[in-house]
Amino acid sequence: MKHPRSTLSPWTALSRRTVLGLGAGLGALALGAMSVATPTPAAAQSAYPSRPVTLVVPFPAGGSTDLVARLVASRMTGVLGQQIVVENRGGAGGNLGSAAVARAEPDGYTILMGTVATHALNPALQKKMPYDAVKDFAPISLLALIPNVLVVSNDFPAKNVKELIELLKAKPGEYSYASSGNGTPLHLSGELFKSMAGVDMVHVPYKGAGPALVDVIAGHVPIMFDNLPPSLEQIRGGKLRGLAVTTKERAPSIPDLPTIAETLPGYETYSWNAFFAPAGTPKAVIDKLNAASLAALKDPEVSAKLADLSATVVGSTPEELATHVKDELAKWAPVVAASGARID
Amino acid sequence: MELLGDLGLGFATALSPYNLLYCFIGVLLGTAVGVLPGLGPVATIAMLLPITFGLPPVSALIMLAGIYYGAQYGGSTTAILINLPGESSSVVTAIDGYQMAKQGRAGPALATAALGSFFAGTVATFLLVLAAPPLAEVALKFGPAEYFSLMVLGLVASVALASGSLLKAFTMIVLGLLLGLVGSDVETGTQRFTFDMPELADGLNFVALSMGVFGLGEILRNLEHEHSRSVMVKHVSGLMLSKADFKRIIGPVLRGTGLGSVLGILPGGGAMLASFAAYTMEKKISPNRAQFGKGAIEGVAAPESANNAGAQTSFIPMLTLGIPSNPVMALMIGAMIIQGITPGPNVVTDEPELFWGMIVSMWIGNLMLVLLNLPLIGLWVRMLTIPYHLLFPAIIAFCCIGAFSVNNSVFDVFIMAVFGVVGYTLIKLDFEPAPLLLGFVLGPMLEENLRRAMLLSRGSPMVFITHPLSLGLLLVAAALLLIVVLPSVRSKREEAFSE
Repeated sequence: MKHPRSTLSPWTALSRRTVLGLGAGLGALALGAMSVATPTPAAAQSAYPSRPVTLVVPFPAGGSTDLVARLVASRMTGVLGQQIVVENRGGAGGNLGSAAVARAEPDGYTILMGTVATHALNPALQKKMPYDAVKDFAPISLLALIPNVLVVSNDFPAKNVKELIELLKAKPGEYSYASSGNGTPLHLSGELFKSMAGVDMVHVPYKGAGPALVDVIAGHVPIMFDNLPPSLEQIRGGKLRGLAVTTKERAPSIPDLPTIAETLPGYETYSWNAFFAPAGTPKAVIDKLNAASLAALKDPEVSAKLADLSATVVGSTPEELATHVKDELAKWAPVVAASGARID
Repeated sequence: MELLGDLGLGFATALSPYNLLYCFIGVLLGTAVGVLPGLGPVATIAMLLPITFGLPPVSALIMLAGIYYGAQYGGSTTAILINLPGESSSVVTAIDGYQMAKQGRAGPALATAALGSFFAGTVATFLLVLAAPPLAEVALKFGPAEYFSLMVLGLVASVALASGSLLKAFTMIVLGLLLGLVGSDVETGTQRFTFDMPELADGLNFVALSMGVFGLGEILRNLEHEHSRSVMVKHVSGLMLSKADFKRIIGPVLRGTGLGSVLGILPGGGAMLASFAAYTMEKKISPNRAQFGKGAIEGVAAPESANNAGAQTSFIPMLTLGIPSNPVMALMIGAMIIQGITPGPNVVTDEPELFWGMIVSMWIGNLMLVLLNLPLIGLWVRMLTIPYHLLFPAIIAFCCIGAFSVNNSVFDVFIMAVFGVVGYTLIKLDFEPAPLLLGFVLGPMLEENLRRAMLLSRGSPMVFITHPLSLGLLLVAAALLLIVVLPSVRSKREEAFSE
């Protein structure tokens, strides 16, 4: 029998979570009680953080963004001396949770797991944004990059990216590609591919990547751009044919799969995850959160699990993240405009 | 004999004291959150996800699975006792279950739910053992065209759910379809009926809507007649099933199990469709059909068996293909990935201990649930004798927690309050809320699959007829429609169903 590896004993964790599970209202009470019980250095009474930090994940639990958030959050306690409580606030493509953090008190007790969607695509897609991706946030750290992958059904004629482009050029508009929804990173990966390769295929949006992947495996839709982690096992299991990854470099988790850029130079898309605090959060607090994030990313268990997710660990400074957001906004705005996708 | 070896491995894994303990914790927690209105397995599993990091993968998944099917057991308890279906699958259980409770027969209703679920769980588990991989292939046969036709059949069948006026049932379905349209258009992203509120971009929340229409509406109505409500529950007759009851539920349980096992395999609403398809079928063929809607025990037995069978078989696409068929399965996949196991077609061969251990633990978990729930029935029934002025504020408080916990959103609590008033109005006007909820759930799926199928066929509606599965489903729907519409049959139907 394997022993629990968590720094927390599963029993303490269980009893606390049981209370949470039995009533979110009681949960607040339990957390309050816990922060009293957690020994804090007497001198640090006013020092940040003196109570648990809420990490808002603007997507439902269970997705890759949620997993990265929970993995990293579980190992930030060491530096912060406080628990990080993950709160899923999905809705409106990540805008609901992001807007909530943008409006939160800038005291470091509410932070956001931002993504390429919330901080690059949505601002380009939507006329009425409930927040400003640059002005309303103080960057903390770019955590990880996750590759996307171009997959086709097993019975699809094209065996590689070059054949796919030739096929699509010969029969414009005849083939369809599935995505996780209108205006999502996967949809726009497809649109970027269409414009760079000069081909036409019809976009078929789904409510999430899961159902889209099922229809590609079954052959109802022949082509799809997916996040690498869920598709990886399907490719290995022979249920799907992977054509290429979307990153500049090949993915270490499946090194024999070429990149799209090898056929279509300059093509690059990936999903990314980063921590943000509300704008106006004190520099000292940002630095502490940055240090805690970097420490968590260095934890061998966290980096091993991120590698399982095919994620590339980054761990940037706040300044590097600020530059990254600006670059991504500049990169995606023209793609979104060219695709004609918009959300009014 | 390979199967016996696999099962042996499964039993060895599931019966280790450590895993038995986690299985028990899972089903206990699941029952608890199922009983608390609105607090569903999704929120619970999401909250428990972090602690599973430190557990061995098999134990973690056994516990999470226990929460899921345990909640299916617990969910029927509130549906029966206080007319509060917290899960879409227990909406139809509430129809006759609550009527039974009002007649003082809450005990037999709860016992039927528990025994029916256990039987269905056992059968579905064996199905998992014997035929999981080929069954998963069946799920892949369902493309957009087939789903559309299945939803059409579902909607036509839901008309039959009404026990009163056909026109009123139809009105409720259409209203439900309209409510289901709220949110972003899947194809274009256009906002529909959102009034510039980003909270509505993903549509109305099912839990908030259902607890408002059913739960709060019922509470408002009860407050009008508090006197009669407290008298009604004084006479609670017998906790267990009589011999006559047993005879009446055998058929519905068997048929419900069959339907649930088949529909549960389909990703996307299969398990939910199962419970009301089973109810509709019983209502058509039961010798006691006149009693449906007024406390027929068959109306509890069939959907409860179906939803539990569906809950078990919905693991098939997840375990054999790595495909999540509902939000709970998506969370389970998340939990597996965190454990370093990426679900996919190779799990059965790469992780036999996990696969077989989990399946065997589901059967053991179902057994634990029956042993846990049968003695608890007396306790639950006694809950009905709590004075209503104490009970209803507690129910409202739990409803608020439940509505909030789905998305951590206060907005959903307000939505629930608004639909409480809607539900009360509907009761006053003698409209039944169940068809409304079914329209609400089926409508978006119907639209999405219709447009997707048409997009893939480049605008040709022939796709629904050229696909044999789709054609078959449409023919069944047409036949059902004929039965409802044909005047001679209709007059008989109204004789049978209206008082």
